[in-house]
Amino acid sequence: MMTFKGWILAATALATTALTATLPDAAMAQDGEKLRFVVVSHIGSNDPNMNWLTMAMEEFGKKYPDVEAEYISTNNYSIQEHVRLLEQAIATRPDGIAVPIVSPDAFEGPLRRAIESGIPVVAFNIADGRPEGERIPYVTYVGGDELLTGRKLGEYALSQVEAGVVPAPTRVVCASHDSAHEGLKKRCAGMREVMEASGAKFDELFIGAEPATARNTLQSYLSANTDTNYIFTVAGWSAPWAWGVANEMGLSPDVDMEGVTVLTVDEGPVSIEGVRQGHVLATNSQGFWLQGYAPLEWLYWNVKHGYAPQQDILTGPIIITRENADKWSDLVRSVFGEEAYNQQNTW
Amino acid sequence: MRTPLQALVRSQSFGAVIGVVLMLAVFSIVDFSGWWRSQTLANVAHFSAILGLVAMGQALVIITKEIDLSVGSVYGLTGVAFITFEPQYGVGGAIILALLIAALVGAVQGLLVVKGKLPSMIVTLGGLFAARGLIYVWTGGSVNNFSEAARSNPLTRLFGGEFFGIEAAIFWMIGLCIALNIMLWGTRFGNRLLATGGAQDSAESRGVRSDHVKIATFTLCALLAGFAGIVTLADKPQTHVTLGDLMELEAIAAAVIGGCLLTGGRGSLVGAVLGAFIITSFRYELIALGAPSSWFITFVGVVLIVAVIFNQSLARRAGHSV
Repeated sequence: MMTFKGWILAATALATTALTATLPDAAMAQDGEKLRFVVVSHIGSNDPNMNWLTMAMEEFGKKYPDVEAEYISTNNYSIQEHVRLLEQAIATRPDGIAVPIVSPDAFEGPLRRAIESGIPVVAFNIADGRPEGERIPYVTYVGGDELLTGRKLGEYALSQVEAGVVPAPTRVVCASHDSAHEGLKKRCAGMREVMEASGAKFDELFIGAEPATARNTLQSYLSANTDTNYIFTVAGWSAPWAWGVANEMGLSPDVDMEGVTVLTVDEGPVSIEGVRQGHVLATNSQGFWLQGYAPLEWLYWNVKHGYAPQQDILTGPIIITRENADKWSDLVRSVFGEEAYNQQNTW
Repeated sequence: MRTPLQALVRSQSFGAVIGVVLMLAVFSIVDFSGWWRSQTLANVAHFSAILGLVAMGQALVIITKEIDLSVGSVYGLTGVAFITFEPQYGVGGAIILALLIAALVGAVQGLLVVKGKLPSMIVTLGGLFAARGLIYVWTGGSVNNFSEAARSNPLTRLFGGEFFGIEAAIFWMIGLCIALNIMLWGTRFGNRLLATGGAQDSAESRGVRSDHVKIATFTLCALLAGFAGIVTLADKPQTHVTLGDLMELEAIAAAVIGGCLLTGGRGSLVGAVLGAFIITSFRYELIALGAPSSWFITFVGVVLIVAVIFNQSLARRAGHSV
């Protein structure tokens, strides 16, 4: 009769055999037959932008059937959770990793180890913002420039001030749902740069991601800072909250020469419809579809041919205004589908 | 015979009453004109009512010597269900179905705790993740819109509108607080609930089915959280999958600040509402005074510890073993 120890050994052997059998891709990658790339993202199923990335990855899969591309993501705004997922992904020894550098400090260790062990890394969505020699030595960065996003949106707002569309800014609040997110901080910083140069006061406000709490926090701020006449939400889905709070307070938040002006980000249905309906002055696109596709293509070219671009590849920002919002709406409808687009328009 | 003052001092919400009085005094000194504005008070009262609804359910569970970490996710799941079901079943149908989901989550958690003899902290932690995961899977990352017709539906206005210029949520919280207090202090079920948390063995020896009581309490707690979610979205349907994120911690903090002891058998629904009022007021005032909004988290931690020390000392004076 088998001993307890024997049972454990047998079970372990069985489990190992079963696991090996279910991982043909990994085995093939070792043979050089099939590559495995892992995208470790902070854009999870709690974020509609994930659709852009996963749809783009499907297209990549059609073009490169010899690559298995996996998308894993966090569902909360936690850097620790993201690092944990990254370390797990590295431990599976993929042939390439695409990852947004949400926190250079937190990602430095695991990514440097991965790169040193021969796994090429492409940063996407958020770059390591440190100087060239100090940043994580990834192959390249594919994505928007968050500082530029804030700056260009701010510059557009000022151009509309000159055109007599909206009032000049007196105090601007940048409402952020994640106080540790480097990309969001840079969006605020870009906006700050432009707005402070124009003579406006500027504050960053952490509103959190919970809708009722965020509204409560924003209302507190607006009550205490009555000279605030610009709200910049660094997520598209929080734009209707900001508009709603300002509207309830009688601050006339639509795009006109009175009251508060709202600016936001992203090319999702909420942001685009906000612009089209005159609630939001402008939003931006950072080329999300390209951010899902291009990092994998660069990983492929790097692994297969040793190619590495000599500079970052910017996919945005593109400013979406009332003039081009209709075209953006058509494009996004073609990606999301008519029904999903309409359902996601929460205005 | 006790005077009303003596009764107040001995009441389980005394700590919260003292906290509110102190807080109002401090706010009046540092920011009189800002704090005592109708807009400020309306905003604070509105969010306090929503958090208060969730905190009352939490208080009931804590009184039975258990805890429910899933209330934030249940609040979110019910709210999302309400919005998602509306196009198909109408506002009334969506409310009923959403509340049924909340009740089911609460009942299942209660059953697992009492029948599976599992710690409620673990069961409801699982509930927290499971309900949040369901929201993500169900919505694909974005909650649907709520049509204009649904927003102006009389039922939607009943839950999320205004009466005499005051948010409906405040009336619902006051009404439910009165009803739940009558249940807790004036009915056999309430008596059994207190007995279950106070001395379960002794209660069972007197024929109290503590397992039934706990399952009912978990269900009631989830229903209150779900109801709060519906009240929130009936008023402001523009939401996100993060609805209710971390709300469980504020609800537990409110219940504890309000006089609930995690050792069970002692707690106050009025105190839980006052606890919610303290938490919301401080968030508001810290921001109004220009403090970074993340300081609020530090504040909740400090107040929580002070409240526990104060409430435990009150409980000992009242002869409660803690």
